[in-house]
Amino acid sequence: MPSVSSLDEAAAVLRAASARGDKVRLGADLDAGGMSRVLEHEAGDLTCTVESGIRLSALAAALGPAGQRLSLDPPGDPTVAACLAGNLSGPLRHRFGAPRDLVLGVTLVLADGTIVNAGGKVVKNVAGYDLGKLVCGSEGRLAFIGRVSLRLHPTPIAAATVVVETEDPASTTAALLASQLVPSALDVLHPGRVAVLFEGGAAAVAAQVAATRALVGGAEADEAVWAESRSRQASSAGRTSFAPGALRELLERVPAAVVRPAAGTAYLPDVAPDETPEPVRLLQERVRARFDPQGVLS
Amino acid sequence: MPLSPAVRAEIGAVVGAAHVIAEPEQLRVYDCDGLTGWRATPELVVLPGSTAEVQGIVCICAREGIPFVARGAGTGLSGGALPVAEGIVISLTRMKRILEIDLASQRVVVEPGVTNLEITRAVAADGFFYAPDPSSQQVCTIGGNVAENSGGAHCLKNGFTVNHVTGLTVVLPDGEIVELGGKALDPSGPDLLGAFIGSEGTLGIATEITLRVLRKPEAVTTQLAAFGSTDAAGEAVSAIISAGILPAAIEMMDRLTIVAAEQAYHPGYPEGAEALLLVELDGIAVQVEEDTVSVDRICRACGAFEVRVARDDAERALLWLGRKGAFPAMGRMSPDYYVQDGVVPRTKLPEVLRRIGELSREHGLQVGNVFHAGDGNLHPLVLYDAAKGETEAAKTLAEAILGACLDAGGSLTGEHGVGVDKACSMPKMFSERDLEAFERLRRAFDPEGIANPGKVIPTPRLCGEVPGPYRQHPLELIGLAERF
Repeated sequence: MPSVSSLDEAAAVLRAASARGDKVRLGADLDAGGMSRVLEHEAGDLTCTVESGIRLSALAAALGPAGQRLSLDPPGDPTVAACLAGNLSGPLRHRFGAPRDLVLGVTLVLADGTIVNAGGKVVKNVAGYDLGKLVCGSEGRLAFIGRVSLRLHPTPIAAATVVVETEDPASTTAALLASQLVPSALDVLHPGRVAVLFEGGAAAVAAQVAATRALVGGAEADEAVWAESRSRQASSAGRTSFAPGALRELLERVPAAVVRPAAGTAYLPDVAPDETPEPVRLLQERVRARFDPQGVLS
Repeated sequence: MPLSPAVRAEIGAVVGAAHVIAEPEQLRVYDCDGLTGWRATPELVVLPGSTAEVQGIVCICAREGIPFVARGAGTGLSGGALPVAEGIVISLTRMKRILEIDLASQRVVVEPGVTNLEITRAVAADGFFYAPDPSSQQVCTIGGNVAENSGGAHCLKNGFTVNHVTGLTVVLPDGEIVELGGKALDPSGPDLLGAFIGSEGTLGIATEITLRVLRKPEAVTTQLAAFGSTDAAGEAVSAIISAGILPAAIEMMDRLTIVAAEQAYHPGYPEGAEALLLVELDGIAVQVEEDTVSVDRICRACGAFEVRVARDDAERALLWLGRKGAFPAMGRMSPDYYVQDGVVPRTKLPEVLRRIGELSREHGLQVGNVFHAGDGNLHPLVLYDAAKGETEAAKTLAEAILGACLDAGGSLTGEHGVGVDKACSMPKMFSERDLEAFERLRRAFDPEGIANPGKVIPTPRLCGEVPGPYRQHPLELIGLAERF
């Protein structure tokens, strides 16, 4: 099955599959590999529109010269389509959110080959249902994601990392979250370490590093810890959610994890059960049945 | 079909007779929301006091096929809470408890009738605030904010309601209850929470809402910059954003609204300004200091003849009073006004503002502009006098302004919602296929179509059979442009 290079091709593949009653696994049987262009980047608007097959590294290279970036750093180098379908994020999730917070609009190809648009390319928009958010986390079961408009951020002038070695990461984290510091990332590398990333103007970054060390100790470190965090996230087998205030209980429950405390997300070395409540699962199924009544996207 | 006495009695039994409104003169209070040009009288208004009571009412509606409209404070500006004749209004104003304040998680759990400002009040002493701040925040309810995905002046940096709601208890239109999200972010599966927020009451009723509250910033500065033209002020907005500065808010007012606000509140806006920018920076003190200097420099480079920083909280509050009270202040300038909510890419602001000026002259009606410039969300106020028969002309002008926003690659609405006001304009932004995809989502939640029918998606009954001319959707246009 193909790696398509246009919306029309994707539509043709899905239409044909629908007609034959075939199953299509998006990402495996059909992907947007040939659709990898930046269609528009309006630097003054801090927005861009891309074909969803573009990888994050290629997008970063395209945005870099304008001093801008997509503030999304999941492990590896996934495509934008994969980021949305899996709602993938990395350490920057702390300050900048997940794909659902950065998507402004989408062009989708539905299971029957219909091409539809939702949202737009402006940063603020409440016209119509937000299908761009809906497909975030849909794992390829709602629609083929063809084009995506994204909110961008300025590339920070300076960045610094502080790593705190501690037997009590819960208290360290609580102190940092209760402070007026504005980290871009805050990960607990359980057991034993809390990593904090500051970005912005050089003076503000230096001031926050000093304030952090005064508050919770620790030492300035290079960015290797973020590579470690992302790599441990990538090799994790399960994920669990928790109320951010219950970090201590979580850390007592699991022996090792990469934890994003403000999001209440922990990546675990072992498989974790799906936590979706039954009524939500049924509602997901109702939505799926409307978008793909034949069950083409399996 | 009017409600039968048996059904009325059954609904009354769910909430108690004291919480049912059926007298015609009392029902009239619920005729409309903030969009007063549209009115309809419901059969009944019910005021449930709990999730279970909401569920009880909705189950009766589902069984009997009775359309229902959920309503908060009724401050919406797009007719989202306009009743359906022969239907009922479910008013959530009795459900106004703050259920939990969990500052260790930076979350607050509330019922939908709690007002926006009450959230911040509840956590302010501990140094927290709730970020989205619609101008109506003293009275508008969180339930309404969820329905409309409300914005506000300070959403430029912190995002909209959808970025601050982490969990919802929802009564679906068939009476089922689902818990979407919770205190943690990123539940697995498609983002039903994100799709529900901003669905304008068409996918169900939120009865418990979990919100993220933020730590108050270390420093805040509010700057006022006065310009000789809206063009220059618009250039300054783009220049600030392009410089990599992300203010908490950038608001713009034009001459007409400056004069109105000055007369109403005396905030001390500079004389002779054709446009004002209100720029608020917050965050780490050192960064705010640096950025304040940069904003001053950028504004002057773009032609500002006066830039000053509010000396204290009192002056900051006064500067904001003129901005947040600008709509009511315009009420003194004109017997009637009609507010639009179109969005344009920030870089197109000068161009679109010029176009609005031209349209205003062509149609012979004044237009005041007071808006969220940082995110390109315009609020043109078309001034007219209904008594002089100018209503239709005002509507035509407002439509033309929306057309200009769409031509610039923007959107019909940035924060007020589609409601009934803009439902018939939806085909100008979305194709029939797009609207049909919206309908799929709606039917997944509400197969019988009883939750706020007639809103958001155009219907032949509301709009006639022939939709307005379709302009290519912004994402489609990008595709076309590259083929040539």
